[in-house]
Amino acid sequence: MTEPSRRDVLKWSAAGGIALSLSRLPVAMAAAFDDTQTLPGRARPNPAAAGHGRIDAVAKVTGAKLYVSDFRAADMEGWPATTAHALLVRAADATHVLTGIDLGALDGDLKPTVVVTGQDLAQAGLKGPPFYAGDLLCPVGTTPLYLGQPAALLLFERFDAFDRARVLLREKSPLVFGAETGALARPNYAAMRFTRVAGPTPDAPDVYSPLMEGWISPGVFEAGGRPVWQPLPIAEGGQYKKGATYGEAIRAGIAAADPAALVLDRSFRTQSIDPMFLEPECGLAWYDPKARALRLALGVQSPLEAAEALGDMFGAAKEGVRPKSIDTRFAHLGGGFGGRDHTPFPLYVALAAIFLPNRPIRLAHDRFQQFQGGIKRHAFDIRSKVAFERATGRIRAFAADHVLDGGGLANYSASVAVVSATSAIGAYDVPKVDVTTVAEHTRGVTAGSMRGYGVVQTTVALETLMDEAAAALGIDPVTLRRRNLLKTGGRSMAGNPWTVSVRTPELLDKMEAHALWRGRAAAKAAAPAGTLVGTGLALCVKDYGTGADCALGRVELEPDGRVRIVCDAVEMGNGIGTAMANRVAQYLGRVADEVSVARIDAFGALGLVTSGDPYTITQAAQDKAAKNPRWVPAISSATSASIGAHVGTQAAGEAARILLRFGLWPAALAMWGIRKNDPRRFLWEEAYWQDGMLIMSGLPPLAQPDLAAKAHAMGALTGTMAHAFSRWAWAQAAFPLDGFNWAADLDALAVRRGKGPFKVLDRSFVAFPPASYNRIGTAFVSGCGTLVRVEIDRASGAVRVARGYSVLECGHALAPEVVRGQAHGGFAMGLGQALLENLPPFEDGPGNGRWNLGDYVVARGSDLPVHALEVEILPPVAPNEPPKGMAEVVMIPVVPAILNAIADATGKRFSALPVTPDDVRRVL
Amino acid sequence: MTPLLRMALLALAAALLLPAQGRAASPPGGTLAAPEAFAGIADPEARSAAYFSELSKVLTSPRCTNCHPATDRPRQGDAARLHQPPVFRGPDGQGLASLRCSMCHRESGFKPAGMPGHPHWQLAPASMAWEGKTVREICLQIKDPARNGGRSVDDLIAHIGDDTLVGWAWAPGGDRTPAPGTQEEAKALVKAWAQTGAACPN
Amino acid sequence: MPAISLTINGRAHGPIEVRADLSMNDFLREVLGLTGTKFGCGAAQCLSCAVIVDAGDGTSATMPTCVIAATDFDGKAIRTVEGHAKDGALTPLQQSFISHFAFQCGYCTPGFLNEGQVLLERLEKAPIPRAELERTVTEALDGHLCRCSGYVKYHEAVRDVILADPGRFLT
Repeated sequence: MTEPSRRDVLKWSAAGGIALSLSRLPVAMAAAFDDTQTLPGRARPNPAAAGHGRIDAVAKVTGAKLYVSDFRAADMEGWPATTAHALLVRAADATHVLTGIDLGALDGDLKPTVVVTGQDLAQAGLKGPPFYAGDLLCPVGTTPLYLGQPAALLLFERFDAFDRARVLLREKSPLVFGAETGALARPNYAAMRFTRVAGPTPDAPDVYSPLMEGWISPGVFEAGGRPVWQPLPIAEGGQYKKGATYGEAIRAGIAAADPAALVLDRSFRTQSIDPMFLEPECGLAWYDPKARALRLALGVQSPLEAAEALGDMFGAAKEGVRPKSIDTRFAHLGGGFGGRDHTPFPLYVALAAIFLPNRPIRLAHDRFQQFQGGIKRHAFDIRSKVAFERATGRIRAFAADHVLDGGGLANYSASVAVVSATSAIGAYDVPKVDVTTVAEHTRGVTAGSMRGYGVVQTTVALETLMDEAAAALGIDPVTLRRRNLLKTGGRSMAGNPWTVSVRTPELLDKMEAHALWRGRAAAKAAAPAGTLVGTGLALCVKDYGTGADCALGRVELEPDGRVRIVCDAVEMGNGIGTAMANRVAQYLGRVADEVSVARIDAFGALGLVTSGDPYTITQAAQDKAAKNPRWVPAISSATSASIGAHVGTQAAGEAARILLRFGLWPAALAMWGIRKNDPRRFLWEEAYWQDGMLIMSGLPPLAQPDLAAKAHAMGALTGTMAHAFSRWAWAQAAFPLDGFNWAADLDALAVRRGKGPFKVLDRSFVAFPPASYNRIGTAFVSGCGTLVRVEIDRASGAVRVARGYSVLECGHALAPEVVRGQAHGGFAMGLGQALLENLPPFEDGPGNGRWNLGDYVVARGSDLPVHALEVEILPPVAPNEPPKGMAEVVMIPVVPAILNAIADATGKRFSALPVTPDDVRRVL
Repeated sequence: MTPLLRMALLALAAALLLPAQGRAASPPGGTLAAPEAFAGIADPEARSAAYFSELSKVLTSPRCTNCHPATDRPRQGDAARLHQPPVFRGPDGQGLASLRCSMCHRESGFKPAGMPGHPHWQLAPASMAWEGKTVREICLQIKDPARNGGRSVDDLIAHIGDDTLVGWAWAPGGDRTPAPGTQEEAKALVKAWAQTGAACPN
Repeated sequence: MPAISLTINGRAHGPIEVRADLSMNDFLREVLGLTGTKFGCGAAQCLSCAVIVDAGDGTSATMPTCVIAATDFDGKAIRTVEGHAKDGALTPLQQSFISHFAFQCGYCTPGFLNEGQVLLERLEKAPIPRAELERTVTEALDGHLCRCSGYVKYHEAVRDVILADPGRFLT
């Protein structure tokens, strides 16, 4: 096993020689589509302008075509007008050999025009990219690798035939199975060990940590694939033996009978979850064989990855099925939650188009298929062993073992395993930690990225355990947590400190002071007959960012003052467009009139190139590559990992700051008549915007449109285009601007003057964060605490969450109402994971193709304390504190808080999710 | 057209590959014995009770109990899970103002979506709840005019034997297991039970 | 094939031939290109596909479109998300959704908008006491699934339209 990286993301190489449209193709194809994704659009009102709504709000309340599922061929400029339809047939069996595809039910008009099978792909030289390693279509003669694996793609020219065929095939699968083979065995996806031994005092260096010694994997596996965690002499990777020796010593210490210590040894099981974004996956594509041009419209969280994956799939394909160019457009998403980050779905959209050339074709999951084929949250088995000092309540040592069900394809399993390990001790400071984690291949539906991955599972186990320990130690739950908090400057389990504000003490204070908490005993005493009342809380810190995140942003100012932003970030409901507009408005005095999202094609002027893997690159390789002023460690990231506010807005924000300094500020100087030697020339940071006027004390206020007109007229900057990269710190570079060597938290910049074209600037200096930062678990965390009151009906066991309070911190909240909404939505999703949602593994689970929302119950309004849910956002620690990611952390503590409240009400701890009424009734 | 692009093929002969068929056809919901099968029970009351016990295979099937629920919320499917979306009885047994049964359950249903329908799709009144009850309890309840909508025992023959909404239970479509036997067979049992004094099993 | 005629957002459509087994959802989205009405589950469990049906007696109700034949809508008058705003002027409920930041991804918005609008029109005819307001809003919207918002702002947005004009909606 190679050295694991945090997010094992494949980089596309140009081996295929296929042009991906990272810059606009000469044809103005599908410009109309781009207009639909640029909001609010010129003619529409902009609720964001005065902070009274989202920038995409009008489109969303009027039913405008916005999501990829809204588009048909006729909506795409320059495409043939009629739409063909594709049907992906997935296997509901992964233990028998696929012997054939019987389409006898589809006779006459219902016959598909083309049937694509695994054999066809093999013949054509079409292969899934390494990230999705495994047959794209299960070949006849093979046992499907996993439940829900696609086995055939049926292409229909007419909607009616497709529509009737899909009903028939839903009733009876055309896949024919033969002999029982059992499930196919495949190696596990990852096995890692994270061990830290702190020095004797908080100031002393660590004795051992992942940061010092690197991340380690065992080198020896049993025949069945289980890792051998003991430090055998032949461990691979050299370092394993050393780390494992420390780890085993920690475990021995916990196991040693010591009356001064409370030792808890607990198991916890979390279930598989569907992200259940409301818009099932969908895509539209057209292959023009004359031009050998493949054009697609997709809805994914990871646009560049999707484009690269397509390039990779066709890279070694035979001439007749290999496009010369691939032009992909990306739409707003009807939800994502991680499940559309690195999804293989776009590959099938492209295959449909290639095998039915000349015909635009649409592939759309229905909900059964989305359950059957969509990415899931990993189910976890967690075993935790913790030793608390009885006298103080301090955690002496912590050991845990995580086993993750990764399902049929590798996807993000390695990353989820890592994140689960590095988050295993939550908000706390533990001097001795040893966590093993193994992500298993199974025949289940593929598990991958989903909101809060790795952390939600471990936090539930940890935060319920903290409550149990508090009771056993006779210490108040808040006090026990407070005594163990990791303080500013303290080291996380990877051995590095968090580099952002640490506000967990305030979160605990807020919860402790809250009426729900203070009134918990009274509420319990006042419970009506037949009802049990309980109160619980939990604390969570969640990493945001992945350790190699980047953003593309382009900001343009028109002569009338209008502001237009183009970015690569995807709008999936997270409010990125609104946050972007608000961040840019700080510098340009005006909320953007238009934001165009999910655009990886609008940054050609930067001429970016990349090489290597940003997660594993060596310092020498990075230093060498950085000599090329166009080189960056990565070009575009997925919109995920809660990076929207922090990373997603960074490029546009910094671009806007430069536009202020070298565009509007020189215009202001000219309008004020401030001359060359006047020291006020350099006081640009003291100017501020108020109601569209640039204010500088002692000088007349200037209207933003007048400044914009002046900037255009005098040839100052009127547009900036930037790239930013973060590896737990921003890459910094300096650019030649108006005689300055101007430094910014950017690594590439192009500028425009007047109406001219964008011209790239060679950076005079660049400092990328060192490659060694790749050993950091996380340096960026935000925190959230949740407090809930539950009422349990004794007779039925039904748990009702009657009240809730979430307190969170996210630095500068760019769009506070969006933040609040995320917290509400996180609460609902957390409640669902705690009480409602459950996908059983394997044959009874979603891979059987029979799951829909009647069986998979997500929270409705009546399940939530809609009118008794309070959200508090801590103000930033300083006016200039940057935004911190918060969309994941807000769902996580909800789950353990509910379990702690149930324990408070019933006196019984549950150790598996979800907790159903039957479970509760059984213990009452 | 390249070799890769081809008309749909019937992969392999279906006859070779389909799972063994042609087992003696028994209804997927199970069978109902005819009244004659109970002729051997000499005691008329015991025989009457036996008719009802046989009939109770129908009455306790999820096809019936799902809409004769113990609460105001119907259940769905063979697993009898709570109905989604959450619909409730409402004042007329046809749902609350915002979620009426007829919003989805139209006159004839919509087969492509597996949606059942009937012109009078509704919940049985609360007094007729069967969910969770013993066969004897259901029996006492079903012949009690105070709890059966004022029906005489003879009226029950028509309700169970001829009512087309009840009849849906034997042809529910989709993944649903039909009620045992046929409506005619059920009718014969109700009739036999009524004619023998409508005794209830112990 | 049967032919259907219906009124959508005040405009007459048809007669148009449709298959008896074509869903209303596909009729709107595939035949007419009216994609504001969404497809979420195909089983009437999320109601993102719900439209307003205006009965001849002046009452209105929502109906899902994914589980109902297009032919079932023959002769009916319906309203969809595309039809709420008139000449670009948003309705009070649309404005309230916007100013409350009610939705996030927006995919469930057409269903919530239609349901909320039906509720407003119902309360206008049959006002309720203030004390029943929250329960009534929750009950009315409960068929609709939203994965982003936790429902809080949707409920507040509908409630606040009612509270802004109590004489109209409340007793």
